[in-house]
Amino acid sequence: MDDQGCPRCKTTKYRNPSLKLMVNVCGHTLCENCVEMLFVRGSGNCVQCDTPLRKSNFRVQLFEDPAVDKEVEIRKKVLKIYNKRDFDFPNLREYNDYLEQIEDIVFNLTHNIDVENTKLRMEQYQKENRDVIQRNKAKLTREQEELEELLLLEQQGNEQRRLDVLQEEQRQLQAKRKNKQALLDELEQSQIPATILLAKHKARSAQLETEIEQQKQSVKPTSLFSTGIQQSQTVSLVPIPRIEEVLYQYTLLKVDTYGPPAPDLGQLGRLGSTSQALFFRGAAVCVLFSLELFSGDGPLCTGSTCTETRHQSGYLNHVRAALPQDTAGGYTTAMACHRAMQDAFSGLFSL
Amino acid sequence: MPKSVVGTAVMYFRRFYLNNSVMEFHPRIIMLTCAYLSCKVDEFNVSSSQFVANLVHESPAGQELVAEQILEYELLLIQQLNFHLVVHNPYRPMEGLLIDLKTRYPTLENPESLRKNVDDFLTQASLTDIGLLFTPSQIALTAILNSASRAGLNMESYITECLGLKQDKETLSKLYDSMRRMKIITKKYELPKPEVVNACKQKLERIHAEGLRLVLSRKRLIFPDDSR
Repeated sequence: MDDQGCPRCKTTKYRNPSLKLMVNVCGHTLCENCVEMLFVRGSGNCVQCDTPLRKSNFRVQLFEDPAVDKEVEIRKKVLKIYNKRDFDFPNLREYNDYLEQIEDIVFNLTHNIDVENTKLRMEQYQKENRDVIQRNKAKLTREQEELEELLLLEQQGNEQRRLDVLQEEQRQLQAKRKNKQALLDELEQSQIPATILLAKHKARSAQLETEIEQQKQSVKPTSLFSTGIQQSQTVSLVPIPRIEEVLYQYTLLKVDTYGPPAPDLGQLGRLGSTSQALFFRGAAVCVLFSLELFSGDGPLCTGSTCTETRHQSGYLNHVRAALPQDTAGGYTTAMACHRAMQDAFSGLFSL
Repeated sequence: MPKSVVGTAVMYFRRFYLNNSVMEFHPRIIMLTCAYLSCKVDEFNVSSSQFVANLVHESPAGQELVAEQILEYELLLIQQLNFHLVVHNPYRPMEGLLIDLKTRYPTLENPESLRKNVDDFLTQASLTDIGLLFTPSQIALTAILNSASRAGLNMESYITECLGLKQDKETLSKLYDSMRRMKIITKKYELPKPEVVNACKQKLERIHAEGLRLVLSRKRLIFPDDSR
């Protein structure tokens, strides 16, 4: 909200965020204090552009950019004169031309282009269309009055409701107080024993409470649903038509890599030449396993997994092992290896 | 600076000048902007002040000017790259191929010995246009085969067996053809001589100074009242 501060005292906008900037007809801003100081005699010159100004011309700034405020003021003044409405024109084209005229005038006045000519044009227009302007002014005021009446009615309704609620509450309080008073009187005067009186009093106050609760919860019966449909209206319940379509069948995605097939993520630990696997076993064990290894793929797989906790096998023993910190984060050595293999093999065969 | 960052920066530079003229945008500024952008993209972030602090040839005022210029040109660069900021460099395929060699091709004893030659080949290749002509995996494979043949090792069996190309003669021949072309391009490339470089530099400076003057004078015509 604080742009650059007041151009005169500069600091006050930062120090005092509640301070307001005021704009005047030349489009330059001044904070409230500076306005007070400079225009103590009622009139003076603007700080930045030296145009003679009056203190009454200052208005509190609504927009961040003072140029916008200046344009808004000019627009209001222009529209007071150029106040024809859309039904005053025989066709859309002329109405648009008229609107464009207005925009031109506002633009000229805001950017100080050709100010005298523009003002002359405005005066001319005013003289020519005086009666039209008067008529439209009258129409405008009538519409505004209607709006104000509606607002007034709404406000009155609100007030009425508030008063009703207050009265209800007061009545309930009074009822309670009377009840208590009645109890005290009876205790004083009547002959019936105190316990019975207390019991009766409790029953009565419970009754009162339930009445109050019921009143609070009773909703006024309305005749409209919230969507605007009348409650007594019957809506036809036509069954929704069924649309039958072919069910979607999932087909596995095929990616053409233009190269030899790269090993799968899960197989990276197991694939590899048999000599590697042998190298990682103890000598005694290797004799036992070597026969099985050469016979089929099955034992090779199980053999490598049982030792994989410490040694990596297949492709993985040529990749840097994952540290405990990495595995804790979900990283496995197979990931890096797989990525390198994929990169190495994809695109190897030319198109 | 990791190699992938350098590779990415060089690719950006090449791709930018595919569509724009050197006369319009001075290569020095674009080069700095490419380096800055690729640091960001490749997760090797340096702040802009740190980046210009590394330019030891400039005074601090000059460094700030350069920083401003980089920030100006950054968006233009991204736009001219058609917003395709991910560059696939041949370094990861090279690692993948080395892993594959170690795992599936025990005939080759020590693939690590090839690594230095491979790196040299890839650096030389990045100076040429082959990043724009061939896929990164092909470049990596050529690099590895080249350094293996330089060491006297024969890797034909790797290609035919492990890459599964025994039956597919056509793809095999195409692969060999592209590898041969890459080798020729890389071998034939040599750095330009200093005299040629200097002559080009002077021409560039002259044209850019003129261009700057034109732009300023045009600005003054359109906005005569530039006091706002």
